[in-house]
Amino acid sequence: MPRWCTYEVPVDTGMFSPVGLQPTAVLRLAFNGAAQWLGRHAISHRRLVSEHKTGFVIWSASFISDRPVSFFDADCLEMRVMGRVCGGGTQFACEGQLFGSFGTAVHVQATCVPLRLDGDAALSGVPARLCPEVMASFLPDEIETLPHRSPVPGLQAVVAREGILLARHERQFTIHRHQCEVADQWFWPEAASLASGGREDLIRADADSVPTLRHALGTTVRRLDLLFNRPFFLFDQGVVVSSAHRWKGRLVFIHELKGIDDDQARALAIEQFAAAGGSWN
Amino acid sequence: MKLRVNGALLRFTDYRRVITIAAPTVEAGLTALADQYQPLRKVLFDREGKVRATHRIFLNGAPLEREELSSPAGEADSVDLLLAISGG
Repeated sequence: MPRWCTYEVPVDTGMFSPVGLQPTAVLRLAFNGAAQWLGRHAISHRRLVSEHKTGFVIWSASFISDRPVSFFDADCLEMRVMGRVCGGGTQFACEGQLFGSFGTAVHVQATCVPLRLDGDAALSGVPARLCPEVMASFLPDEIETLPHRSPVPGLQAVVAREGILLARHERQFTIHRHQCEVADQWFWPEAASLASGGREDLIRADADSVPTLRHALGTTVRRLDLLFNRPFFLFDQGVVVSSAHRWKGRLVFIHELKGIDDDQARALAIEQFAAAGGSWN
Repeated sequence: MKLRVNGALLRFTDYRRVITIAAPTVEAGLTALADQYQPLRKVLFDREGKVRATHRIFLNGAPLEREELSSPAGEADSVDLLLAISGG
């Protein structure tokens, strides 16, 4: 049986907006949950980096919200998380749920690619299969031969093909240190913040001509999918290219996060909202 | 040449992004840069003194393979030094 760990997360007002849990807070909790699981059941994240020269870089993440949760619903939420190896050691994945007495609020998933660190102070590394000593810390039930597949490329294609484009907007940004992790590389949950900022600026710019867009300010993200191709680093300048679509009765925002001189997106984020008066299914 | 240091390497050059170096080749420029900013040496070069595989080097926007680091570089050339990925 795969091992899980469950623990309480005291809520604070910074985890919420007026409409529910902040997507960035959910993703930060997911990454922290992965670290909790590694520390309890395998090898702590710190020891992985410092002793086993193994780091992780995010590749894919998503969450699905079952119901809106407000700051006033509970003093604490419960985080339940499980870690596993996929692709025969080429990925480390965690999945979890954030729940309370009211039921499950959010299902969250994140998949990282292991890096073999070069041993320098910049924590530089190259993608590599997890080493045998690290693999030995996982139970057989926690090792899958198949790799995790991201739904993002397929979702992006089907929304572009079948959806109705409502608006487009671009917003420039600079990565500052408060958005970075220990190696001055962006902390990947910031992708959700940048996507949210792109969406909000698109709505502010275009909602007078497309009023239905405002619904995505007054309700919570039902589903968020992220795919990461290349990281941003300290003081990198980028642009969020956001587009809004109506698809299957939903409002869908596709965000391409590019470096200012890049042709290809370094990260993709797809936010889905139930449309005003529309059903989710 | 103008050496442009990016992102995760800035803390090793006292946060200077563009540094002018007089050297005949890209490799000599990188060595001179590491002489000037000692903390960068172990980050940029491995124990054999070779540029680590985790760095990407561009000469006037074109990526250089390791065997091309001896390419000549003059006053008007720019060299970009990027860390491809890091693992925290």
